[in-house]
Amino acid sequence: MWNLGKRNRILSFTLLATVLLSSCSVSSSKIDSDIDLEPKKSIESVETSPSSADLVKSAVDFDHELDGYEPKKDHYDFYFTYKTVHHWWDAVALGMEDAQRQYREKGITITYEYMAPDGASAEDQKKRLSEAEKRGFDVIGVDVADADIISPILDDMVDSGYKVMTFSSSDANEGCKRIAYVGNTHNYQDGADLTEALCEKLEYKGKVAILVGSVGAPCHEERALGAKDTIAKYPDMEIVATEYDMDSVNLAYDLTKKIISDHPDLDGIICCNMSNPVGAARAITEAESDIVIVGMDHDREALHYLKDGIIYCLGVQDCYSIGFDTIQIAVKIADGNKPGELFEEKTNEITTIIYQEDAAMMLELLYGDN
Amino acid sequence: MKKQITRKTFILTAVIGGVLLMAMVIFNTVVSTRQTTVATNNAVSEVSSFYLEAMADRRSKTITNLINSNFDHMEKAVAYINSEGIETEEELRATLGNIKSMLSLDRFALVDDDKIVHTQFTTYTGGSRHDFLSAENMDGRSVSTVSIYGSSKQLCLAAPTPDLKIAGKTYKAGFVQIDVREIVDLLAFEDEGRTYFGIYSKNGENLSGTEVGPYISVHNLFDIVKDVISEKKLSEIRDNFANAVGGSLTFSPDEVEETLCYVPIEGTDWMMVVLIRENVIQDRIRSISERSLATSKNQIAFTMIFSIIFFSALLLMLKTLSNKDLAAEKENTKNFRDMANTDSMTGVRNKHAYSDAEAYLDSMIAEKSIEKLGILVCDINGLKHVNDTQGHAAGDQLIRDASDLICEYFNHGAVYRIGGDEFVVILQDRGFDTMHEVLADINRVIEDNVKKKKVVISIGYSELTSDDQLVHDVFERADKMMYERKQQLKQMGAPTRSDS
Repeated sequence: MWNLGKRNRILSFTLLATVLLSSCSVSSSKIDSDIDLEPKKSIESVETSPSSADLVKSAVDFDHELDGYEPKKDHYDFYFTYKTVHHWWDAVALGMEDAQRQYREKGITITYEYMAPDGASAEDQKKRLSEAEKRGFDVIGVDVADADIISPILDDMVDSGYKVMTFSSSDANEGCKRIAYVGNTHNYQDGADLTEALCEKLEYKGKVAILVGSVGAPCHEERALGAKDTIAKYPDMEIVATEYDMDSVNLAYDLTKKIISDHPDLDGIICCNMSNPVGAARAITEAESDIVIVGMDHDREALHYLKDGIIYCLGVQDCYSIGFDTIQIAVKIADGNKPGELFEEKTNEITTIIYQEDAAMMLELLYGDN
Repeated sequence: MKKQITRKTFILTAVIGGVLLMAMVIFNTVVSTRQTTVATNNAVSEVSSFYLEAMADRRSKTITNLINSNFDHMEKAVAYINSEGIETEEELRATLGNIKSMLSLDRFALVDDDKIVHTQFTTYTGGSRHDFLSAENMDGRSVSTVSIYGSSKQLCLAAPTPDLKIAGKTYKAGFVQIDVREIVDLLAFEDEGRTYFGIYSKNGENLSGTEVGPYISVHNLFDIVKDVISEKKLSEIRDNFANAVGGSLTFSPDEVEETLCYVPIEGTDWMMVVLIRENVIQDRIRSISERSLATSKNQIAFTMIFSIIFFSALLLMLKTLSNKDLAAEKENTKNFRDMANTDSMTGVRNKHAYSDAEAYLDSMIAEKSIEKLGILVCDINGLKHVNDTQGHAAGDQLIRDASDLICEYFNHGAVYRIGGDEFVVILQDRGFDTMHEVLADINRVIEDNVKKKKVVISIGYSELTSDDQLVHDVFERADKMMYERKQQLKQMGAPTRSDS
């Protein structure tokens, strides 16, 4: 009897459990709506060949760190004047601001003025330097507007005890007493290299024009000289026009139109600064001409013309490094150091010639354009 | 006549009921799942559009709020500068530094009428660096996109400062620049990566550098989608972008449909674009459906298993109850039969039982399937005398004493009371084998009882012989012998009927 009763109790319990568990099964059927998706964010690299990518990446170095030099003060005040208000010097300014930021992180405050006229002018630069002399800056930096006019002034300033350096695109004349120069030291060669590329493209025959830039600006003049000397090597090449656009896109555009009009059989244009390739390309595009353009620098519009095949090649200078190194060397000069172990008397920055295949990558690198 | 429910009927009903129940559960679950999936799929497109629009709108408003917040802070900054009575560039720089920490305006700067920009650490000619400075006069707040060399795009917020004069010099504007990467960081958390988003210019350029799906990626929107949509649609989108009108677009660059929603960002010439790949939604739905289906399957399996257990338990219980009833019935039957075959006074079998046994043994004798059979006929001496002299109660007790004595010694035999004072013992097998020894033992007790005036039983016996055809043949010999024994006992002094 006991066994039977026990068995009945077990069976009853089983029945009850069945009902309860069945109801549990229903209640546990809720849908889990969790999702694991990560946010996606990336900057895609423009498709390009490895060699092109390396070329473009090495053309401009944005990855700078201050060297191990320990500044003697915790605050420096500089004055820089450059040729003209222009995107090229804005790029230099970004390198300067990076160095300024890195010094600030080390507890050293760098303040500076970075001034230029709207148009290149040696007279304006003289006036600015004259005013800067009175304000007690630690170092005065000059991008020489006209070497013949400005170099003597710099000598006088150095003789008067001012610490003066030159930077960016144009150094003073050879023998100037300025303490150091940071920037392009191979403008002549840049002009020659661009012209050599043009000659090769034209198979060493044809008529070309030169847009120089600002009158007396050493960098522009030296590039023009390099171009002329290169053309002179090839008997079937001829320079039919040389014009000064004064670093103005609009003037470069007008001059190009005139040159095309005067020389309908023109084969190429050599542009010696950042403004004139843009002006020339606008005019060439408008004229639907196949004149080959070679030019300087990294203007965004110019890079788009390069990408579209309107411009054949561009010599891109490492403006960012120029700006960064300018501040570093200015600090050393302010501390009374002279060229030698700490810095060179001329700090050379590179120029890289890029072609159509490199344009997209360069646009992405410099401007984030895709 | 009322029809009885048989066990078979019950089991059949239970099984059919269980199967029907399970079928209904399965059917309802499958139908419900299918209906849910179909309804959800139909809603995917609609939901994705609504969702995208909401996400785009939310992100757009986030940027607008950021812009408005910065403009508000700039107004406060200018008011603060005005109130400080600044006289030198150094004081201005120090004040700009204070503003940074007070108002979180990291890149706040002022521009004077000569387009010279004044920041906390730098003073520079900014005509080429800031597009908004190209205008001679600022009519109001300006929001522009700045493409900085070597940097990501920046949003430049500029506000005119017509009343601001510092050291006698008029300042035309104040401005801040917000890196688009900071804005992207601000927006990225909002939907846990379900959608792609990008900030676009009017000409379809991706300003944020964010990947808007694997197909569009970071490329110009118009350049990419022109290959997968009609010219009319492309024209419509270009117009919408140019005129800051929101809209949506669905296209299939591969097998996966993508839906894109764009809304203008108020206060800017930007467009917020949000894209979702429908397979993201479908994968989610599929995942949910599969989980739901798996849950349903588990539920069905679970219910089936427990239903089987339930019905098994039910049947087992039924069987147990049935067995219990059957056992009770058998017990009752046995009791009834025992009552019919048992002598109520002594508890031994009665004459009816003896008749059954006799019939059974007769059949065995006829079949010659029995060899060992002994019959003892026992008669109580002096019963009448006891009844007459001591009463029936004493007589009954004498009968019970006699029965007990017989049962005690012939415990391997079947004892029957076939008359008032007459018992028969049938001995087979072991009882037969020990019959003579036991008989000798009981007779010694009986003879002793004669002297003690206790119960005296005359016992005659006989064994089955090959000539016997019936039990009765054996019985008669035993009965005869019993009478002979009765005479012997009488001579020994045992009471007899005549004693009365």
